[in-house]
Formats: sequence, C-alpha cells, structure tokens
Amino acid sequence: MATTATDLEVFSAAPPSPPARPRVLLVGTALGASGAALTLLTLVALYARLRADVLARGEVWLPEGSNVQLTPGSMGMATLTLSLFTVAWIVQALHNDDRGHALMAFAVSLVLAAAYVNGAAYGWQQMGVGIASSPQALLIFAITGLHVAMTGVGMLFLAVMAFKAVGGQLTGRAAEGVSAAALYWFVTVATYSVVWYTITITK
Amino acid sequence: MTVTEASREPVEAAATPVPVVPPPGLAAVVGSGDPRTVGKLFIGTSLVFLLVAGVAGALVGFELGDASGKQVFEADTTLRVFTLHGTAALLLGVLPLLIGLATAVVPLQVGAATVAFPRASAAAYWVWLVAGGILLASYAIDGGPFGADDDAVGLYVLALAVVAVALFVATLSVVTTVLTLRAPGMSLRRTPLFSWSVLVAGTVWLLTLPVLGGMLLVTYLDLRYGQQFLGGPQGVYDRIAWLFWQPTLYLVAVPALGIVADVVPVFAQRRHQRHGTAMVLLGLLSAVGFGAWAQLGVTIDGGEAPTPWLFEGPWVVVSFLAIVAVLGLVGLWNLTLAAGRPRLSTPLVLAQMGTLAIVVGVVAGGATAIDALDLDGTTWMTAQATMVVGGALVAALGGVAFWAPKLYGKLLPDAGTRLGGTLLLLGILVAAVPQAVAGALGQLRLAGAGLLDAGPGTVPGVVRGDVDTVELLDLVSGVGLAVAVLGGLTIATALLRRRSGEGPGDDPWSGHTLEWLTTSPPAVGHFASLPPITSEAPVYDARHGAVRPADTTEAPA
Repeated sequence: MATTATDLEVFSAAPPSPPARPRVLLVGTALGASGAALTLLTLVALYARLRADVLARGEVWLPEGSNVQLTPGSMGMATLTLSLFTVAWIVQALHNDDRGHALMAFAVSLVLAAAYVNGAAYGWQQMGVGIASSPQALLIFAITGLHVAMTGVGMLFLAVMAFKAVGGQLTGRAAEGVSAAALYWFVTVATYSVVWYTITITK
Repeated sequence: MTVTEASREPVEAAATPVPVVPPPGLAAVVGSGDPRTVGKLFIGTSLVFLLVAGVAGALVGFELGDASGKQVFEADTTLRVFTLHGTAALLLGVLPLLIGLATAVVPLQVGAATVAFPRASAAAYWVWLVAGGILLASYAIDGGPFGADDDAVGLYVLALAVVAVALFVATLSVVTTVLTLRAPGMSLRRTPLFSWSVLVAGTVWLLTLPVLGGMLLVTYLDLRYGQQFLGGPQGVYDRIAWLFWQPTLYLVAVPALGIVADVVPVFAQRRHQRHGTAMVLLGLLSAVGFGAWAQLGVTIDGGEAPTPWLFEGPWVVVSFLAIVAVLGLVGLWNLTLAAGRPRLSTPLVLAQMGTLAIVVGVVAGGATAIDALDLDGTTWMTAQATMVVGGALVAALGGVAFWAPKLYGKLLPDAGTRLGGTLLLLGILVAAVPQAVAGALGQLRLAGAGLLDAGPGTVPGVVRGDVDTVELLDLVSGVGLAVAVLGGLTIATALLRRRSGEGPGDDPWSGHTLEWLTTSPPAVGHFASLPPITSEAPVYDARHGAVRPADTTEAPA
C-alpha cells in the first residue's frame, strides 16, 4: 500500500524515540579503574624517582640479599596477556548470545588470574627480604601487593558477571556489565605492564 | 535492609513522579539511596566537622597568641591540632559539603531521575562518616600527624585513606551522572554551570584522590614497618600537605564558583553572559588545580625533602592562570548583573561574599609564586588556604540557601542566613589577614618541624620582625576563627529553623535550569516531562517564550 501524506504526518507527530541506554556502568568503571591505576602508578612513580636518585649517586638500588627474579614477574605478564584474549572472548561470546562459550571463557580467565596471583606470591617468597628490611623492599611489596589487590577486585567483578551470565541477564545488547568488567581487566593488565617493566625488568 | 532509590532507567517511571513514602524510623535515613537524602546527610555532617575545624583553628590561634607559655596545650599538641584544623576543614568539611550539594542538585539540573550510582553514593557517605569519626578519634588517643603513639598515627593515616576512597566514590557517582544521564538535548555545552563545574573539578579530584591514596598507603606501610624513609609520625603531614596549598586548593573553589555562576544570572534576571566562556574558565581553573605534582619530595634515606618545582615555570604559570580564570569569571558575572535587574537576595549575597574571599585567596596565591617576596613556607600560605576554603564554604552555603526549596522543601530564614554568612566571611577575613601579615613578617607556617624546633613557649618560625607583633597577629587570627565558628553556628541554627508554614513553591526564585521545573521537594523520579532543551537555560527560555511550552518531551533516563 502506498504511503499517504496523512501517514507521514502521523510519523512526524510521534514522540521521539527513547534515548539510547546510557552507559552508566561502563563510564563509572572507566573512572574507577583509572583511579585504581593512578593509585598504583603513584607508587611506581615514587619507586622510579627514588631509584633514579640512588643510581645518580652511583650507588646500587636493590639492597644486598634481595632477589627480584625475572621468571615469576615475566610469567605473570605472559599470563595476564593471555587473559586479555580470554576476557575479550567473554565479551564476544555474550554479544553473540553464546552463553556456553562465555562461561568457558569466564572460567579460563579466572584460572589465569589465579595463576598470576600464585606467581606473585611465589615471587614474594623468593625475594629473600622482608617488607621491613629496606625502603626498596617496602616499595616492591607495596606495588606488587596493591596490584594483586587490584587483580582480586577484577576477579570479583568477572565472577559476578559470570553469575549474571549463568542467570541469563547478560546477553546481546544487555552485556554492558561484562564490557565494564573487561574494561577494568584491561586496565589492570596495562597497569601490570608498567609494574613489570619497572620492577622485574629494570629492577 | 531495603535501599530506597529511584531507578536509573525510569523512562516510563519518571513520566509520573510518585510521592515519596519513606520507610519508618531510622531506615528512612540509613537505608536511603535517594540522592537528596544522601546529599543532605553530607551537608549536615560536614557542617558539624567544619565547626570542629573552626574550633581547632581558633585554639591554635589563641595558643600562638602568647609566646610566654602554653595557653591551651603543649607545643607538639599545637601542631597536631593545627593538622586537625586543616584536615577537618578540607576533607571532612568543605569538599564533602560540595559533594553533598552536587549529589542532591546535579541530577535535578541535568534532568535525571537520580545519580548514576545511588547505592554507591549512600555507601560513600556512611563510610566517610565512620572514617571521619575514626580520624577524629585518632587525635584523642595521641595520633594524627606528629602524634606520640605510632599505632594511633597509623590509625589516622588509614582513616584518612578511607576518607579519600569514600570521597572518590561519591565524586565518581556525580561525575558519571553528568556524563551519562543528561536529558535529551542537553549537550555538554548546554550543561548548567554548577553541574559543569562538578564535572570538571570532580574529574580532577578523581585524578587527585588516588594519588593521595597511594601516598597514604606507602606512608602507612612505612609507619608500620620500621619507619625507614618517610620520617615516621613527624613526616606524615609532609605527605599530605600539598592538599592544603595551591594548586590543589583551587579544586574546592571550582564547584563553589559553579554555584555562583548559577546564582548570579537567576538574581540578575538575565541569561548568563558568555556561558561558553564561563565553562572554559571553570575548566581552566580545574586543570590548573591538579596539584599532585607539587608535593614535598622524598629521599631514600629520609633526608631533607626537595621541592624542585618551586618557583619553576609550571608553578608560576599555574599560579597566574588561576588568577586569570577567577577574575575572568568575576568579569562575566559583573556583565550579567549589569545587563539584568539584580535582586539582592540571600543566595546572591552569600555567593558574592564567597567570591570575594576566593578572589583574594587566589591573588594571594599568585604572590607566593614570586621568588623575591619570599612568602613560600610562611603563614601567608595558611592565610591563602583560609581565604580559598573559607570563600568556598560561604559560596557553598549560598548554594544551600539557593537550593533549599529542593533540598528541604523550605526556604532558609533570610536574616539568620545573612547574619551567619556575614559573620563567617568577617571571621575568615579577620583570621586570614593577620596570618598573611605575619607571613610577610616571616612567620613560618605550622606544617613541619618549625614549631618543634622552636620548642615550647616560643613563637614558631619567626625569622624576622617583632615577636610581639606576630603574637598579636596570631591572637587576632584566633579571634577571627572564633567569629567564623559563631557564623557557622548561626547558619546551622538557620538550617534547623527553616521557614515553617507553606512551602516556597516549585520555583521561588524564577530559576533558569531544570531543577526549578519539579516540585519542592522533588518527588521520586523528579520530572513528569521536560521542555525541549535548546540552550543552557531551558526554563528561562520557556518563561521568555524562546520555545513553545507545549513542546515537551518525555523525561529521560
């Protein structure tokens, strides 16, 4: 049937379409994750500044007896890098309404995160010095400990989203929550890359 | 417990605001996620903390007023009370007051049904309240910076860190509200200036508070594990002192100036002149207010803290850009008032008084950037902080008076509010001017080892000038803060004795922005419908026929 002028008038008088769903959780998560990253980067900046001052005086940065091993830190970086892909897999699977793959990706991501935490704990054991032994050790424990805490929050966020996915709340366009969790996770991994370079690589 | 709140996505629900039916008893307060309730809680509690800060400052002034012996407490206690004054005034006082006002008003201004994260805002308030209480309690058990009990000092640091986290969450909620929940048609360019100021200043607070949190974490760990390089209890204040001087100090001025920017056009009965320029100037002041870089340095062996940034380019530029921004805003408000027919109502009076104090404080800050004046580290900086924070407080109270119909459903009594505001400003001026003069005479500020080095019974840090003169100035400063406390009590009384009888109506001031379209106090969901938003002053447009009032749209999410 041909469209008449009257029909068009009806359309023009229709109320405006509802506003696009505001990405409240995503924006809030972006701001919150930035705050968490900034807290950590503040400590990294303090570490780098003090290290530069000490090296400029021709002294050795890490005190005698301390042992910041390359392997646990680098394994942590590799593990978290892998988790970037599995978290992206979660988001893609839920956007495709594929809950089976999404849950599998959730599980793999959480296992990788747990492996990173385990590696960090191993690194602390191998350091050979306690937190009270020197300012350097205190800063290393503070930075790596804070990052493990940040990772823990990310794991909790992912776990909550996994439960929501199991409940069928996160599918298709309604998957903003898991996008927010993924964003937080990406910031966590990006932050670790700075920690890894500063402490594990340059020591 | 049930949390009462409006849905964030009430496209349909908001179309028909429903009367508020609060749960009975304490649950109405404790379980509320209503932004107005949370905002009022922030405002009320921060006023109590501000009274504590004022009393502490006055006691310090009286103590320093006579160098012959202890008047109120020992020398090391004077330092601790001074830090209590600063901490309570900023992080338990003016900043939460502004956040509370923003939590209640911003959703109304942007046409939203509630804040972005109502439960997080409520949780932030309660956490802030408890942490603030613990912070005060830590002073009572010999804690706080320069305290003798290491555990109590550690408790202070932890409580302050939790306060920072709570303020971060509350700020995040209002910033996200402005970013995501604006009504259809309200582009950022059309955002009311108070909401805009909350957005820009809040964003910089979101960058600043994590830095504070990081510094507090490492300070706590150093305190707890051997006090290896941050100076123990004596070094705690050095890690947070940057919050209390420029440029970070200006971040509390930005939302206060945003309040003024919303109040002036309403009482000038004229659209804000050059709204876009005002947005740029508020943004500029916020940008220069990021001051986490201007901290006292740290050395690995706990040696003297370097300040390599002092009198360098960025410090000087920031100091003078702030003056440009504030004077530019004052110029725009003068233009607006000149173009309109000003009504000298209480909110405008308080807003102007607050602006005056902020302008003086910011200009005084510019003077500290001039190396030849040798004002850095003196009580000139204390005076500057007193002016800026005090000015922000007076302007914020002007905002409370302005939005009282939306906050409380009542107007504040004019006489009491004006008297309180005047006493407050007078007290701030009487407190700050002698501090500034004493600073020019060379008195070092109480934020380091100055007083301890001087020992009990001496005026701290007087490096030149007459001791008797400095003592007198300190005493007058203490009297000024006592007058300010009196002003605060008068305003608190005015708040408690809100005008009874019939409500003020939905729009008693002939406002310009969306909050004046809803009821006083607002119903849950806030708006039944909204006019088309084609400018920053949609209600002014509707009143003056710039758009047809019938062209309304459904309320947004």
